[in-house]
Amino acid sequence: MSDAVAVGPAYRSSRRRLAFLFAALVIAVLPLLLTSGYWRTNLTLCAINVLLAIGLDFILGYAGQLNLGQSAFYGLGAYVSTLLITKFGVHFWAAFAAGVAFAGLAGMILSLFAVRLRGHYLAIASLGFAVIVHQILLNWISLTQGPLGIYGIPPPPAIAIPGLPPIEFSNQVALFYLVSAFALLAYLLLDQLVRSPIGEALTAVREDEISAQSLGINANAWKVFAFGVGAAVGGAAGCFYATFVGTLVPDAFFITESFTILAMVIVGGMGTLIGPVFGAILLTLLPELLRDIGDLRLVVYGLALTLVVLFMPGGLVQGWELLRRKFAGARVAGGR
Amino acid sequence: MPHLSWHDCRVDIFVVTVGLGDKIAEEWEPLRKQRFILAVSALSLIATVAFSDANAQDKTIKIGALFPMSGPGAYFGAQDKQGVELALEQVNKEGVNGYKFTIQYEDSACAPLPASQAAKRLLDQYKPDVIIGEECSDATLAIMPIIAQAKVPLLNAGSSSIKITEPGNPYTFRILPDEVMQGVDLATQAYNKLNARTAVLLYENTNSGIGNAKVFKDTFEKLGGKIIADIGFGRDVNDFTAIATRVAGAGKADVIPTYTLEGQGLKITQALAQAGVTKGGGGSAIQLGTIWLPFGFEQKAGKAAEGYVRIVQFDPTDTRPVVKNFISAFKAKFNADPTHLNAHAYDQIMLIADAVKRGAKDAQSMRDTLAATKDFQGVTGSVEFNKHNQNIKMDTIHYMRTEPDLSWTALKWN
Amino acid sequence: MTATIVAQQIINGVVLGSLYVLVALGLTLIYGVLVQINFAHADFVTLGAFAAYFFMHLLGGSYLASIAVALLVGALLGVAINLAIFAPLRHKGSELLPLIATIGVSTMMQNAMLAVFGPVPYAFETPYSQRVFRVAGTFFTEQSVIIVLVSIATIALLYAFMKFTFLGKALRAVAQDRETAGLMGINPNYLIMLTIVLSSALAGMAGAMLAPVLVLTPFAGTSVIVKAFAIVIIGGFGNVEGTILAGLLVGLIESFTTQYLDPGLIDIVVFGLLLLMLVFRPTGLISERREENV
Repeated sequence: MSDAVAVGPAYRSSRRRLAFLFAALVIAVLPLLLTSGYWRTNLTLCAINVLLAIGLDFILGYAGQLNLGQSAFYGLGAYVSTLLITKFGVHFWAAFAAGVAFAGLAGMILSLFAVRLRGHYLAIASLGFAVIVHQILLNWISLTQGPLGIYGIPPPPAIAIPGLPPIEFSNQVALFYLVSAFALLAYLLLDQLVRSPIGEALTAVREDEISAQSLGINANAWKVFAFGVGAAVGGAAGCFYATFVGTLVPDAFFITESFTILAMVIVGGMGTLIGPVFGAILLTLLPELLRDIGDLRLVVYGLALTLVVLFMPGGLVQGWELLRRKFAGARVAGGR
Repeated sequence: MPHLSWHDCRVDIFVVTVGLGDKIAEEWEPLRKQRFILAVSALSLIATVAFSDANAQDKTIKIGALFPMSGPGAYFGAQDKQGVELALEQVNKEGVNGYKFTIQYEDSACAPLPASQAAKRLLDQYKPDVIIGEECSDATLAIMPIIAQAKVPLLNAGSSSIKITEPGNPYTFRILPDEVMQGVDLATQAYNKLNARTAVLLYENTNSGIGNAKVFKDTFEKLGGKIIADIGFGRDVNDFTAIATRVAGAGKADVIPTYTLEGQGLKITQALAQAGVTKGGGGSAIQLGTIWLPFGFEQKAGKAAEGYVRIVQFDPTDTRPVVKNFISAFKAKFNADPTHLNAHAYDQIMLIADAVKRGAKDAQSMRDTLAATKDFQGVTGSVEFNKHNQNIKMDTIHYMRTEPDLSWTALKWN
Repeated sequence: MTATIVAQQIINGVVLGSLYVLVALGLTLIYGVLVQINFAHADFVTLGAFAAYFFMHLLGGSYLASIAVALLVGALLGVAINLAIFAPLRHKGSELLPLIATIGVSTMMQNAMLAVFGPVPYAFETPYSQRVFRVAGTFFTEQSVIIVLVSIATIALLYAFMKFTFLGKALRAVAQDRETAGLMGINPNYLIMLTIVLSSALAGMAGAMLAPVLVLTPFAGTSVIVKAFAIVIIGGFGNVEGTILAGLLVGLIESFTTQYLDPGLIDIVVFGLLLLMLVFRPTGLISERREENV
C-alpha cells in the first residue's frame, strides 16, 4: 500500500471504520441471501475457520513462531467447554470463558517450554504437542468418551433482551450471527494489537530477535504472549465448533487439521490479518463447491491448493494487490 | 490514489467465494461481472426449482445416500454404491406401483462434521423421500437429529452403536443387528457351543470396536468366562507381530474375539498364526469375529484363517432364492463375488421398494410404512422393527467357520 | 517365558524399526540439505508399494525385482516434484510454501490413487511372508529377515555414498553449511535435484519393503509418516546416523509399549520422548554439528 503513505492516519482509520462497517453489513446480509440450511451451515463453518486462521496468523505471521499445534488448541477449547457443560452443568458462557482460557494457557505453557526453540524445532514441538493432545482425547475414555464421542451438545442458551423476543441459538442464523460477531470482534482486537506498540515489538522480535533484545524488548515474553492470544482465539473456535456441530470426536482435531489451518493462512497471505480471513473462507467453501464433481473433488481441491501456492506465493492478498494495480492502471489510462 | 469503492469490495468477495475458476478478464468491469454472476446464480436457482417441480409431478421416489466416498472410509462407500446400483437397476426396470427411484450420493466422509454438511445439502437441494447411510457410528449419530428434524426417514445398515436405536428417534431405522445383539449372542455361543472359558479381546479403538468388545466382555464374564487380555489399537497400526506376541504370552486363550476391518483383520489373523496362537498356526485358540469381514477374507488370509468362527451378515451359502438371485445378478454386473456391504446396500434399496409397494409415496408415509415392516425377506436376513426401529430378526446373525480348505461351513446356531 | 517375550519383542521392534528408518531417511535427507519438508513423502511410499504390487501381480515379476521398480518409480516422482514444486518455489520467500504446496500434492495423490486403485485393501503376499522361522521360542518370517537385510544394505550404500563420493561429500557440505556448496563449484540446483530424487527413491523403495506389512490402501503411507516425522526429530534433523538409531528406538518403543502398556499409548510415548528430547537434547541423539536453529 505504497500510495497510502501520502494519506493521513485519520483518513486511514476512517477508512478502516468504513471497512468494518461494511464487513458487519456483509455478515448481517449473508444469511438472508443464503436461506438454505446447508449454506447457513457453511457460513458458520467459515466464521469458525476464520477464527482459527487469524489466531494462527497472529502467532505465525506477526510473532514469527511456526506453530503446527493449532488443532490442539482448537480441540482443547472444544473439549474443555463441552465437558464443563455436559459433565458439570456449568453455564455456557462460563464454560466458553474456561475453554478459551485453558487453550490460551496451554499455548503459553507450550511456548514457555519451547521458548528457546525456533523455526522447525518449534514447529515439531508444537506438532508433537498436537499429537499428544489428540491421543489423550482419544485414550482418556473415562473423561472424554474417546472415540465413543459426545453427542447432543446443546446450543448456547437463549439471550433475553428486555422488550424483544429472546434470541434462540438453536436457530442457525442466530448462531451464525453469534460466531461471526465474535470473529469480527477477535479480528478487531488483533487488528488493534498489531497496530499498537505491541505489534511493533512483535514484529521486531520476528525480524531480528537479537536487535530487539538490545532495544530492551523481552523477546521471550512477547512470544509467550503471542502464543497465548493466538491459542485462545483457536480455543474460542473450538467452543463454537462443539456447540455448532453438536457432536465431538477426537478425530476432528487430528494433526491434519493443523495443516489445513496453516494452508488457510498461507493461501490467504501470511502476515496480514485480512488475507487469512479470505484464505479460511476459500478453503472452507472450495471442497463444498466442488461437490458436484463427485469422486474427483478432492483431487481438484489438492490441485487448486498447489496451484494457488505456486502462482500466488504471497497468497490472495498478493493476488488482490496485483489486480488492484492493474485495475488502477486501466482506470487511469481510460480516464485519459 | 485509487479510491477503494464499495463495489470493489463486493467484487472481491464474489471472486473469492463464487467465481473461483474465473480467469480475470483483461478489461475488468466489476459491475457487469457482478451482475453476470448474480444473473447466473438466479438462473440456476430458477432451474433447480423448476427441475424439482418437474420431479414432483413424475412418480418418483428420491433416495439420498450418505456414504463415505473419500478417505479410508471410502472402503464402505465404494461397496455400498455397487449394491445400490444393482438394486436400482432391478427396481427401475418395471417400477413399483408406478414409481421410479432416483438417487443422489453425497460424500459424508465417515465423520460428524462432513456428514452433517452432506446431510443438509441433500435435504436442502435434493429433498429426498428417504435417506440411506452412514456407515460409521459417530457420523450416523451426528446426522440423526438433522434428518429427523426434516422429518425424513433414515435407513441405516452399517453402524452398530447401540445409541442409534437406544433411545434413537422415530425417523431412524436400522436393519443391522446392533452391537448388543451381536455381542451377547457371540459371547453366549462361544461359552456354550465352543466351551470357551478364557478370551483375549482385540479391537480397533473406534466407536464400534470399543462398543462391541465391551458387550462381549460383559456377557462373557457374566457367564463365568475370563478375559485374560484386553487390547485396543488405533487404525494406524500395521504390524501386528507385537500384539500377537503379547497374546501368545498372555496365557491360554480359548477364543480371541477380534473387531477390525478387513485390512487390519488380515494382518492380525496372519500374525496370530505366525505366533502359533490360533488353529491356523498350530495353536488351539479360535478367532471369533463379527460382521466386518467380507466373503473372500479367508482366501486373502490363507491358511492362517483356519478355524476362524465369525458372524457374517450375508451368507453366500444361503439357499433362499433372494440370495441366489442376488449373487448371480451381482456377478453378472460386477464380475466379482458380493460382500456383506454390497448385500446390505442392496437390501436397503429393496426394503425401500417394498415400502413403496406397501403404499409409501413421500417421506412421512415412507417412515410409517417402514415402521410397519413385518417379515421382509432380504439378502442378509429378514427385517422387522421394534418400537425403537431396530431390526429384531436374529436370522441376520449367521455363524460361519473357516475349514482347512478355506471354505465356509454355516454353523446354523441361529 | 518372560525372557522369550522380551527377546521376541526386541525382534519385532527391530524389524519394524528398520522399516521406519527406510521411510525416515528420505525425509531426513531433504530436511538436512534443503531445510524443507516434503509432505507428499508418505504418498510416494504408498505409490512405491502399489508399483511393487502391480509389478509382481500383473507382470509376474519377482519380489526383489519389484523393490527396484518401486525405487525407480520413487525417483521419477522425485524428479517430477522437484520440477513442479521445489525448484519454482525456491526463491519465492517463505520456506512454508513448499510445505503447503506438497500438502496439496498429497491430497491430490491420495485421492487420485483412491480413484484408480479403489479403497479395498490389497493383500500383498510375497513368497517370503508366510515362511516362519522358530528359534529358541521366538519366531520371525523370512520377509522380516529380508526387511532387515535390505535396510542394512540401503543404509550402508547411502552411508558409503555420503562418506566416499564427491557428490555425497558435497551434499553433506550443503547440509552443514549452505554457503559452502557454491565454493565447491557445484551447481546448487543440481545438488537439490539429486537430494530430492534420492529421498523420493528411498520413499518408493520403502513402499515395496513395507507393502507386505502395511494394510495396502491409498492411505497406507500416512499411517507411518507421523512416526517418521518423530524419528527425524529424535534423530536430530538431517542426521543420518541419528535417524537410524531413532528409527530402531521407535520400533522398540512400539513393541514394548504394546507388550507392557497399551498399543493406544504408542504415539504418546513416542512424542513424549520427542518433547523431552527437544528440551534436553535438541540436537538429537547424536550431535555432531553446530546448530543454528537453537
